[in-house]
Amino acid sequence: MSELPDWQIEIDGAIGRWQTDIDEALTLEALRSLEVRALGKQGEIPGLMKRIPQIPPQDRKAFGQAVNALQTQAAAAIETRRDVLVEALIATELNDTSFDPTQSLAPLRRGHTHPLSTVQADIEEIFHSMGFHVLDYPEIESEFDNFEALNIPGWHPAREMQDTFWLDNGHLLRTHTSPGQVRAMHEFQAPFRAIFPGKVFRYEATDASHEHTFHQVEGLMIDRKVTVGHLLDSMRTLLSAILQREVEIRLRPGYFPFVEPGFELDIRCQVCAGKGCSACKRRGWLELLPCGLVHPNVLRAGGLDPEEWQGWAFGLGLSRLVMMRYGVPDVRLLMGGDLRFLSQF
Amino acid sequence: MLVSWRWLSQFVDTQGVDPLQFAEKFTTTVAEIDDVVQWGFGLRDVRVVDVIAVAPHPNADKLRLATVELGGRTVQVVCGAPDLRVGLRVPFVPPGVTLPSGITVRDGEVRGVASPGMLASEKDLGLSDENAGLLSLDGCTAPAGTRLHEAIVLEDVLYDVDNKAITHRPDLWGLYGVAREVAAMLDKPLKPFDLDLVLGTTAPLAIRVEAPDACPRYLCARVANVSVQPAPVDARLLLRRLGTRPISNLVDATNLVMLETGNPLHAFDARTLRGGEIVVRRAKAHETIATLDGQLRQLQTHDCVICDAEGPVALAAIMGGANSEIRPDTTELILEAANFDAPTIRRTAMRLGMRSESSARFEKALDPVLAETAARRFLKLCQTWNPEARITSHLADCGPFSADAKPLSVIHTTATYLRERLGVTAVELPDAWLDACLTRLEFRVARTGDALAVTIPSFRATKDIKIAEDLVEELGRHYGYDNIRSEAPRVAARPPHTPALKLLERQVRNTLVHAGLTEQVLYAFDDEETRARLLLAEPAGLTRVAVKNPISVQHTHLRRNLLPNLLAVAEKGLVQGDDGQPARKGLTIGVFEIGRVFVPEKSDDRGLPPVLVNGTEAELAAYTAGMDSEMLRGVLDARSGTKPLPLQPMHLGIVFAERLGGGAEGTKLVIAPTEVTHRLLQQGIAMLNHLLSWLGKQPLALLASGPESSPGAPDGSPTWRSKLGYDLVASTGETIGFLAALHPRVRIALDQPAQAVVVELDLRALERVPAIVRGNQ
Repeated sequence: MSELPDWQIEIDGAIGRWQTDIDEALTLEALRSLEVRALGKQGEIPGLMKRIPQIPPQDRKAFGQAVNALQTQAAAAIETRRDVLVEALIATELNDTSFDPTQSLAPLRRGHTHPLSTVQADIEEIFHSMGFHVLDYPEIESEFDNFEALNIPGWHPAREMQDTFWLDNGHLLRTHTSPGQVRAMHEFQAPFRAIFPGKVFRYEATDASHEHTFHQVEGLMIDRKVTVGHLLDSMRTLLSAILQREVEIRLRPGYFPFVEPGFELDIRCQVCAGKGCSACKRRGWLELLPCGLVHPNVLRAGGLDPEEWQGWAFGLGLSRLVMMRYGVPDVRLLMGGDLRFLSQF
Repeated sequence: MLVSWRWLSQFVDTQGVDPLQFAEKFTTTVAEIDDVVQWGFGLRDVRVVDVIAVAPHPNADKLRLATVELGGRTVQVVCGAPDLRVGLRVPFVPPGVTLPSGITVRDGEVRGVASPGMLASEKDLGLSDENAGLLSLDGCTAPAGTRLHEAIVLEDVLYDVDNKAITHRPDLWGLYGVAREVAAMLDKPLKPFDLDLVLGTTAPLAIRVEAPDACPRYLCARVANVSVQPAPVDARLLLRRLGTRPISNLVDATNLVMLETGNPLHAFDARTLRGGEIVVRRAKAHETIATLDGQLRQLQTHDCVICDAEGPVALAAIMGGANSEIRPDTTELILEAANFDAPTIRRTAMRLGMRSESSARFEKALDPVLAETAARRFLKLCQTWNPEARITSHLADCGPFSADAKPLSVIHTTATYLRERLGVTAVELPDAWLDACLTRLEFRVARTGDALAVTIPSFRATKDIKIAEDLVEELGRHYGYDNIRSEAPRVAARPPHTPALKLLERQVRNTLVHAGLTEQVLYAFDDEETRARLLLAEPAGLTRVAVKNPISVQHTHLRRNLLPNLLAVAEKGLVQGDDGQPARKGLTIGVFEIGRVFVPEKSDDRGLPPVLVNGTEAELAAYTAGMDSEMLRGVLDARSGTKPLPLQPMHLGIVFAERLGGGAEGTKLVIAPTEVTHRLLQQGIAMLNHLLSWLGKQPLALLASGPESSPGAPDGSPTWRSKLGYDLVASTGETIGFLAALHPRVRIALDQPAQAVVVELDLRALERVPAIVRGNQ
C-alpha cells in the first residue's frame, strides 16, 4: 500500500471535524456562522484550493475533486442540521401554550357611520339598483317650490299643518322633500324615476317622537299610464327590500294635496303578524308612509302634460325607519351629537 | 271625531253588520278610525226607579235614605247624591250586579243602615265621567222597574275617527255624511231628513250681510214660546258620549244638529238683540267682544262678527257673545244657521287660540246648502222637544249664496281613464258598478258610451272634488284598493344618474369612518349659546340667514360653517367619554360632519322652475296652459316676487380634540402643551392626506394664513383660528378650505381644558381638486 499523501489525510480528517462541529451547532445562528466559516467566500474549505500550487501536479486533479467532495458533504451536513434545528423550533413554537387569549391590547380606534347615513345608503343602493336617480336638493326652498308647485295654495290648511320655519330672505326651510318632485321633473326628461333624501324642517315642539328637524326620502316615478296597481307593486317590492323581509301592505285613503288619489300605506305588523299588539296599537297594521299618484297640478308645475304623463310618489320618514331598525326610543338622539349614542353603530 | 253607530243606524239599515268588524273596512274605505269604543254595555240588570220618599240617614249628614218604587215593590237604599229628591227617576243597581267599572253592588249596610242596591250616576254606570249627581231619567216614560237598556238608548259602539284623516272632507264632519259613506259601502239607501215644517210668514228680524265674502249665506228664524229645560235623557247621553257637555234643550239642540249635519248653529236670546237687527260684518279696529266663556277678545279688521244694532253679539263661527246667550229664562230665540268663509274663520280662530267644534267645521269649507238643512233640522227638533214652541217667522235666507245659486260643477271624463288610473279592467270594474258606485255617493252620472259627465254634489264640491283624479279615488276606495292587482311597471332600462357630489360625499364618509372618525348629523341651525360662549363669529361683514320664527332663542340663524356645532359636540364628548373610554386626560375625539351651510350673499339657484326664470313668452304660455286660475296666480306671483335662493354649499367639517386635564372636575389649563397642538395638527394633516389619497386627488398645499381669514378662503372662514392655521390650496391655486388649531381665546373658553384642531372645506371645491396622474412608474 502506498502511503496516502498528506493533503489526502488532511481532507479526510476535515470531514470528520466539520461533521462534529455541525452536529454540535445548537442554534441556527451558530450553524450560520459555521457555514460562513466553512463554505463562505473566505471560508476554510474554499481556502484549501489556494494550496493547489503546493500539490504535486499529478495529484492536483484528485486534490480538486477531494476539496469539492468535502464542500458538498459539508453543505449537505449543514442543510441536514438546519432542518433538524428548524424542526425543533417549529416543535417548540407548536408546543407553546403560554398564550392567554383573554389578555389583549386596547381595542383599535374605530369610527362610526351615523345610523341615518347607514340607512340612507342602504335605501339609495336599493333604489339605484332599480334605476332610480339618487338626487340631492336644497334645504332652503322658495315658497313656490315648497307649496304652490305642490298644489298647496296660500289659503290651504296644509300650510298650517306643516308649520313652517320662515327665513329673513322670504324663503323657508323645506317642510318636506316633495319640492324635489317638481325640480326633478324640470331636470330630467320623462320618463324617469328618482329618490331624493334629506333634512326637512317643521316648526313644532320637540319630544321623544317629534323633532323640528328630521330626515325623509321622497320617491318619484314618472311614466306613461302609471296606475295604482303599479304603485302597489313598486311599494311592496321596495319596502320588502328596505325592511329586508317580505312585507304585506295595504293602501287606505289619505289626504295630501300633491297626490290624487292619495294614500296612507300601512304594513302588516311584524310583531304580532297582524293579530294586534301594543306595537301596532291593536290594529295589526303599522302606518308607514304617505303616497299616491302625482296630482295633475304638480305635473303641470313640473312642465309635464298630465294627459301624457303620470306618476307615483311617496315620502318615507328616514328618521322613523332608523328608529324602527335599531329600536331607538327617542328621535332627539339622532341629531343630539352624543358620542356614546353614536358609538353603538 | 266620534261617530255613534246607534245614531248612524237611524239613517242606514245596518242590520246584520258587526260594527267592530266593520271598523276595519271603514278605515280602508273612508277614514282612519283611531279607536273603537263600546259604550253602555253590561248594564242589563240596571232598572228604572222612581224616588218616592227621602229621609235623613240616622248616622251620617251627607247620606240620605231613598225609598224607590221598583215596579210593584219598594226598596230603601242609602244614597249620597246631593240632588236626590222625591219624584226623581233614576237608575237603580240591584245587589249582586257588577258594574263596568268592576265594582259589585253589595246587599249590605252603609253606616249601619241596610242598603240593598244603589242609585247610580253616569260615572257609576260607566257612561261618562259625570258624577255630580244621579243620572236623571226624567222624561223617560217606561214604567218603574223596566230594565234601563229597554227604557233608554244604551249599548252603542263609537268610532273615534282621526280628524286629520278628514280635513279635506267637510261632509264627514257630520254624522249624516258618515252615514252616506256607510250606506254606499253597504249598498243601502240613506234615509232622508224629515224637514217639513210649518213656518211663519214674517221676517225674523232685519238682517244685513255686509261682508258677503266672509259670509256667503246667513239663515235666520225666530222661535217663540220655548222653555229652557234639560234635553231628553237619550239626547243628553248622546251628547255626552260624543264629547259634548249637555247644557239645556235649546243649546243641546244646536249642538246635536251640528254633530248630525256638520253645520254648526247658534241660538240667540231674542230679547238681547238690540235694535231688532242682525248685521254680519268685519270687525272694526279696536272693537272687542266678551265671548260666553267670560273672556274679553280684542278683534281685528279681518275677523267676522255678528252684530246687533249696537255691536258684536257673536264671533262668527267661533263663539257666541256673553251678551246674547240663551239663559234659563229665555222664551224666544233667534236661530242662526250660516255659512262662513273658511280662511277667515281659521285665521281668527288661530289668532285667538279659540278652536272650537264650530270653528273646526267651518275651517273645512262647508257646503252652503247644508246651512238650510241644519236650520230646518233644528226647528224640527226644537218643536219635538218643545211641543208648545212656535216658529213665528219664515226662514230668512241672506247673503250672496241665495242670490245667485251656482250650478253644480260637472267633471267630464271617460270610464276608461278612471279605470286606467286604478289599473283595473272593464271586467274587474264594470261600467254598471262604476256608475252605481258614484250614484250611491250622490254624484249624478250621465253616460254616453265611455264618456262620463259626472255632476259633483254640493257637499263634495267646496274643495274636495274637482277633477277626474278625485273620482279615481272615490271609485278606488269603494272598489277596495286591496282588490287592485299589483302590477310591475314596465320601464325603460336606463342607467340611473347620481350626481358626482353625492358619490364624493359617500367616499369621504367611508374613508373618514374607516380612519377612525365618528360621523355627526347636526342641525342646520347654529347654536347661539355655543357661539357666544366660545367667541365664535363670522368675519366682519359676513352675515347668516336669520329665521323669522325661531323655535328657541338658541336657533335664530342658519349655520354658514359646520364647525361651531361640531366643536360643541366634541366638547361634550370630552366630558362624557367616547366609545366606552371614560373622560380622562389624553382622551381624544375625532368627529366629522358632511352637511349644507348657508351663504346669504351668494346664489346659484333661482328657487323656481327654470321656465319661470328665463323662459320665453311662448315657453311660459306652454307651461301655464291647463293650469287653473289659482295655480296660475301662484305662478305669476312667484315669478315676480321670488328672490334667488342663498347658496347652500355642502361642507365637510372635522374636529380632532384632546383632553388636557384629568376628570370632569379637572382645573382648566390655560396653556396647551406645544407637543399636543403639534400632534393634533399632524393628525389633521395626515388625515387630509389620507383622504386625498383615497379620493385619488393630488395633495393639497398648506398655506399659513394666520388668524384672519385670507381673501381667497371660502366664504365664511371664521376668525377663530390660531396662528397655526393654514389654507388648503389645490394645485390649481383654488383654496378649498382650512385647517387650524383653535385660537387660544376660543380654546380657553371651552368648558374643560382641551385643545382642538379643526378642518372645514367645501365639498364641491374638493371635487375640483385635480386627480393624481398615474403612470407606469
